[in-house]
Amino acid sequence: MEQIIANGLYLGAQYALIALGLTLIFSLMNVLNFAHGQMYVFGGFVTYTVVVQLGLPFIVGLFASAIVLAIMGAAIEKFLFAPVVRRSKRDESTMLLAAGVAFFLDAVILLFFGEKQRGVPKIVNGVFNWDMRIIMPYDRILIGVLAILLIVVFIAFMNYSKTGRAMRALAQDKMAAQLMGVNVARYSMIGFALGAMLAGLVGGLLVTITGVNLGMGGPTSIKAFLMIMIGGAGVISGAIAGGFILGMMESVGLTVLSAYGDITYLVIFATLMIFLAVRPQGLMGKPWG
Amino acid sequence: MTKILSVENIELYYDHIYALKGVSIDVDEGETVALIGANGAGKSSILRAITGLRPVKSGQILYEGQKLNGTSASEIVRRGISMVPEGRRAFPLMSVKDNLLMGAFTRTDKAEIEQTLENVLTRFPRLRERYHQQASTMSGGEQQMMVIGRALMARPKLLLLDEPSLGIAPKLVQDIARAIVAISRDEKVSILLVEQNSRMALSISNRAYALSTGSIALSGNSKDLMNDDRIKAAYLGGEI
Repeated sequence: MEQIIANGLYLGAQYALIALGLTLIFSLMNVLNFAHGQMYVFGGFVTYTVVVQLGLPFIVGLFASAIVLAIMGAAIEKFLFAPVVRRSKRDESTMLLAAGVAFFLDAVILLFFGEKQRGVPKIVNGVFNWDMRIIMPYDRILIGVLAILLIVVFIAFMNYSKTGRAMRALAQDKMAAQLMGVNVARYSMIGFALGAMLAGLVGGLLVTITGVNLGMGGPTSIKAFLMIMIGGAGVISGAIAGGFILGMMESVGLTVLSAYGDITYLVIFATLMIFLAVRPQGLMGKPWG
Repeated sequence: MTKILSVENIELYYDHIYALKGVSIDVDEGETVALIGANGAGKSSILRAITGLRPVKSGQILYEGQKLNGTSASEIVRRGISMVPEGRRAFPLMSVKDNLLMGAFTRTDKAEIEQTLENVLTRFPRLRERYHQQASTMSGGEQQMMVIGRALMARPKLLLLDEPSLGIAPKLVQDIARAIVAISRDEKVSILLVEQNSRMALSISNRAYALSTGSIALSGNSKDLMNDDRIKAAYLGGEI
């Protein structure tokens, strides 16, 4: 039992961080970023390149992922999403664009990093063992704690910094935010960059545990969408709740359901369908429309 | 008196339908000017044109003697124009505190922002009581006070108020009217007030323009307009 909760928390922290980036972009720009999983994979490969190929410390690799993805996010927003949002009145346009960006990033990853699974060596060795009740390698604990720390920093940033406040204002009422002097174009770009940066950071964190490969992008995006649908799209608390809930469900599923074969995600999807039929706006979300 | 704002012969279209055809108004420093008229007469369009939310097709808008046409909405705040939009447009999920701080978004003078915040909270004691409360949980009247306070946080030279009495309980409309009078008296600010509640608008303004389907039908001293038969018939309760 303790083991399941510990695994769930560890997974949930990573997931929540991914979902936060996705929900930030959605709330600011009404863009469903289907390329979010690819950005995560890209972040993992950047950390891999810096740590394994250049031989630099892990923390440098993590920073490199954050910076590369933030720049990539800013560029994608400025040159792709912003012009489309400006010209098109239909939400489908940005969805198609996001799907296109996902394929494009897959191709870029293949081109630069190849199709092989890549990982970085353990950053700390040893296994934590609490009386055989919780057994968890130290590196997982470290990554889990780092993820939770990043969530806390992100929330503090959104709540207490001027930039964070401006982004919340923009998400809640674009016109009013403009009237306060918020430059919509600039803050949309900052938000997108920040969302992409979070994806990159998780990629950098998880490359030390599970490694990354080209095929992970799509499924990760789908998981991220699951999370924000559980929690309610566009709401910070919803993204965090969704992340931890999915993490827990996966953890429980992998332990309890493993006897019946690999059906965890089948059960999760089925549960989610029923849940969304009852509460389409998710846990914390507002009804759409 | 020097003019702080002069709108010269502007035309504004929504798609191909005109909202304003050749409207000219001006506001002197320290003055409160009201724009009255029926729903759809173009009152709000004038404010949207001034704040850059809607581009004008022709004519020009001068603020402190300089052209405003084509200036972005966010730049206009920096130049000293604050708008309280129609329907209040509070940031619903933010606290009163954060809403007010958003008003000072363009300012960087931390100590003076604190001072302005203190002034606003003194002016609207209700906001001090609700300081940490989420905006959406407050009544319409309280939210209206808050967004007026939010606009004052920018320390504007020109304050644009779009329908501040809309959807507010009648008793609170008086409070808001009093607040506008007090702001005009205490702060160095000119006010352009758009109101469907013509009686209230005329009673607290120095001058007024009456709009009808996109152009100025009448203008003059608010006291005189209050007694004008045409205004009485059209805007103060009579049938049009």
